[in-house]
Amino acid sequence: MGVSAPPKEADRLKTTVDENARISDEFDSEGEASEGSELSEVATEEGGGSSGDEDASTSDGSGLDDDDEGEKGGSGEEAEARGSSSDDEDASATDNDGLDSVEGSGDSDSERSRVFEESDSSEDELLEIQLEMFPWSGTRMSHILDMTLKGRITKKERQDKLDSFLANVDDSKNWRKIYDDYNDEDVELTKEEAKMISRLLNGKAPHAEFDPYAPYVDWFKWDDAIHPLSNAPEPKRRFIPSKWEAKKVFVVKYVRAIRKGLIKFDKPKEEPRFYMLWGDDSGAADKTNHLSYIPAQSQSYQGPVVSISTEVSGEWIASGSTDGTVRIWEVESGRCRKVWQFDEAVHYVAWNPMPELPILAVSVGQDAYLLNTGVGNEETQRKLGELLYVEAAKVSDDSNNPICSWIQDDEHGGIKLRHAKTVSSVEWHRKGDYFSTIMPADILFLLLFSLAIFRLYASAFYVALTCLSRESKSVMIHQLSKKLTQRLPFKLKGIAVSSVFHPTRSIFFAVTKKNVRVYDLLKQKLIKKLETGLREVSSIAIHPGGDNVILGSREGKLCWFDMDLSSKPYKILKSHSKDVTNVAFHRSYPLFASSSDDGTAYVFHGMVYSDLNQNPLIVPLEILRGHTTFNGRGVMDCKFHPRQPWLFTAGADSSIKLYCHN
Amino acid sequence: MDVDMDERQIQARFVTKLNPPFKAPPSAITIPATVTRLGLSTIVNSLLKAGDPEWETQPFDFLIDGELVRMSLDRFLLAKGISAEKTLEIEYIKAVVPRKEEEPSLHDDWVSAVDGSCSRFILTGCYDGFGRVWKGAGVCSHILEGHTDVITSVSIINPLGDVTLATASKDQTLRLWKMDSEEGVDDVPAKIRPFKILRGHSASVGSVAAQASGSMICSGSWDCRVNLWQTDVSSAEGDSVSIKKRKTKNGTEEPQLEGAPVSTLVGHTQQVSSLVWPELDTIYSASWDHTIRRWDAETGKDVSSIICGRPFNCLSVGGEGSTLVAAGGSTPILRIWDPRKPGTSAPVYQFSSHTSWISACQWHSKSWFHLLSASYDGKVMLWDLRTAWPVSVIESHEDKVLCADWWKEDCVISGGRDSKLRISSGVPVL
Repeated sequence: MGVSAPPKEADRLKTTVDENARISDEFDSEGEASEGSELSEVATEEGGGSSGDEDASTSDGSGLDDDDEGEKGGSGEEAEARGSSSDDEDASATDNDGLDSVEGSGDSDSERSRVFEESDSSEDELLEIQLEMFPWSGTRMSHILDMTLKGRITKKERQDKLDSFLANVDDSKNWRKIYDDYNDEDVELTKEEAKMISRLLNGKAPHAEFDPYAPYVDWFKWDDAIHPLSNAPEPKRRFIPSKWEAKKVFVVKYVRAIRKGLIKFDKPKEEPRFYMLWGDDSGAADKTNHLSYIPAQSQSYQGPVVSISTEVSGEWIASGSTDGTVRIWEVESGRCRKVWQFDEAVHYVAWNPMPELPILAVSVGQDAYLLNTGVGNEETQRKLGELLYVEAAKVSDDSNNPICSWIQDDEHGGIKLRHAKTVSSVEWHRKGDYFSTIMPADILFLLLFSLAIFRLYASAFYVALTCLSRESKSVMIHQLSKKLTQRLPFKLKGIAVSSVFHPTRSIFFAVTKKNVRVYDLLKQKLIKKLETGLREVSSIAIHPGGDNVILGSREGKLCWFDMDLSSKPYKILKSHSKDVTNVAFHRSYPLFASSSDDGTAYVFHGMVYSDLNQNPLIVPLEILRGHTTFNGRGVMDCKFHPRQPWLFTAGADSSIKLYCHN
Repeated sequence: MDVDMDERQIQARFVTKLNPPFKAPPSAITIPATVTRLGLSTIVNSLLKAGDPEWETQPFDFLIDGELVRMSLDRFLLAKGISAEKTLEIEYIKAVVPRKEEEPSLHDDWVSAVDGSCSRFILTGCYDGFGRVWKGAGVCSHILEGHTDVITSVSIINPLGDVTLATASKDQTLRLWKMDSEEGVDDVPAKIRPFKILRGHSASVGSVAAQASGSMICSGSWDCRVNLWQTDVSSAEGDSVSIKKRKTKNGTEEPQLEGAPVSTLVGHTQQVSSLVWPELDTIYSASWDHTIRRWDAETGKDVSSIICGRPFNCLSVGGEGSTLVAAGGSTPILRIWDPRKPGTSAPVYQFSSHTSWISACQWHSKSWFHLLSASYDGKVMLWDLRTAWPVSVIESHEDKVLCADWWKEDCVISGGRDSKLRISSGVPVL
């Protein structure tokens, strides 16, 4: 019976410390239980002081009782006073016990049996002593014996709550008692244990003697060793070439080749930042002129085509180029019918809107030419011959200041109108008799001129100023039948850019860089001023209805004005990335187009309703990218075929293209 | 022919409407299903060669149920839903392919117009303002001088009898030229004299067409009108004729008549680009205003019109019962309308193998199925209504083709921007 008891006891001892730590949580609630065990311990030492070995097991065993407080209550102080020493003994006892058990397990079988015999006898003695001293512990023993017999421990019965309360209420050390659920006993913590717990709670090392700041001992041997730390053989991977390295070499090869310039990428084509605004662009000799979809001609332009104009029936189209040539083409076949060669770059061509007057107005340098195109039968040719004839050089005088002279030009077959300055554009009136020319007046020149006058005569300057304010110097209106020239009798504030006649009424639009002035030619007064809000207006086109105007600007914007609506733009379309060179309305289809230096032309659907309440409908339709940019210039002009929904574009790449619907 | 035994076989019998030298034995033979036109042609040639040792191989075209075979036989049968079980009847005709390319006839400028309605000669108009009469390839017999501008259209009036030539020009006039038939040598008259100047248009004349009887011609112009003119002297408009003296080459002065239009057909809103006068009182006109109109020549009324979204450049009436209207314009598609179909303006055929504007189209005068078209893409195509693909493509021109016509029923003549008149002969349409 007693044979199996001691290892059990030892086991329990070993766990005690751990248990203490574990149950620290339950400290408060079960503190009372440990009171008795200390007393019993003290009692044990008092009783069996001679037998140090057995002390621990005895004390442990005694920890279970809780009925003995009453009789041992008085000796509480004593026990406390000796607490520290007893604890020490306790610890040593534990150690011994452990060693003992190790010794026991370590011996040979024979020895073990001998030890068992010895322990057997000693255990028996112990049991006897215990039984002698603590008659109550018989119950405890019988528990253990029960366990060994039945293979399980029967738990001791729980005390009545009221009884335990009454028992604990007077006990001052009740708070130190903990119920150890694992071992089914009440443990009373020693002072030392309580301190250890409080240290743990504070996050310190549990033992007071542990020095967390002990001086560092450098255990490492710093001097070189003869042998490597690891004597493993070199792995295989160190001797075979790396796949990744091989790849890297491949990449590096390319990188080096790129750095050396052996490999070249297609660089994005750089647009020249500057282009010759006034210089001669005669470098495009190799470019061939052609119309897409329709046959081209044998001769080719040398320079950009800057202006085109269609004949009113759509049979012919005229074009002018910076190389000084003006050509007439047959639209259907693309055949060049006639060529005129001028000394200077052609700026503008305009076909007379009357079908019976096949006259082409051309602006070249300081001259505006009226050319006989040679289209038509003998009758019209005869009439034209009469019309395009001036006997002597006729000078239109205006206050002793010749503004324009009409000169017969037999070389080109027509009339030459010599102006004071460069003529930039020519526009016909719808009836084909009047036409306007624009000379973009040089502001600097004007200023210098007036300053010079001012230095000479202050009064004369005043006269000059009034003269300037009364009429525009830059816009001329000519009458073909009477060979008359007059200035636009209004003052333009700003540099004239373009002009256009109203398609149905005698209204004249003069375009300056910032705004558009609308004049009634009959009443001789300003009707309206359109505020564009644009930086620089470049072109204008009027809807055949006459109430809507589009303007193109140098910043690539397109402004649609509804004249009835407001003097501010109805819609601004930002479509082009570069200057808009020209805008055009179709005569019959609801189409308008814009051409730009970015090499594209846009076609829009622009429906104007007869119902005044309905706003115009503008829908972009197509981007035409047929032309290549040359010297920073793209599409220079665009005109619609007068009857078909076809668009002609003139490009800086010396070609005219015809776009058809398909 | 190696016949693979693994493949499908079809029982076929070759029939033809051609004359005896082309008749193959009518017995049914077994042919592989994968053969194409070329294979069928080889089979027929070998059959004919078996009957006639001196047979010369020549290409054939094949019709099954009135449709030309343009793919392998099994695919064709599958597409048409024809059973391959029963004996297939395959009709063969001579392939419409030019056998010979004649010498080019060189002009001084672009060739703008050509007419081959007279089998004895070809009449061409040129951008240098001269009309030319060609006896054959490269043989120019006469040059018609007189116009001051580009000749846009030419027509041979009454090609069988007393031949008159009409030329239309951008100088807004038309000129008539008489051929002296009595002095003819080698079928071609020795002399052609200017006969009449027709003034009345106020813009370039774009087209001219003659009535079949030859007594009247009509002309279309950029002034949007169609004018009708008398061709002979003894007519109602004789009193308006003024006689003009004209110097000729041999120094003698000849009277030249001037004529005014008998009547004018007004209705088009744009250039009249092409005209046909197929019957006595019916005139067809095609215009850039996207319409083809049929006029009653007697009353001058617009009877009916075909509307298409594109400007028309050329027009031809022919085909079955000489009623189908073929027209091309500023699209690459050649369209054919049947005016007898009521209430629809949808074309009955559309041929779209061209890649650029179509400049000319012309029905064959005898065949119901064949027509030609010329285009700015430099090709002349021959079409058969029984297939959607061109029967033949003539690519002899180096530049855009401006005009084309049939000549002698088996030649295709065409002129273009390369200043050459090309004659492709030996086209066995019939």
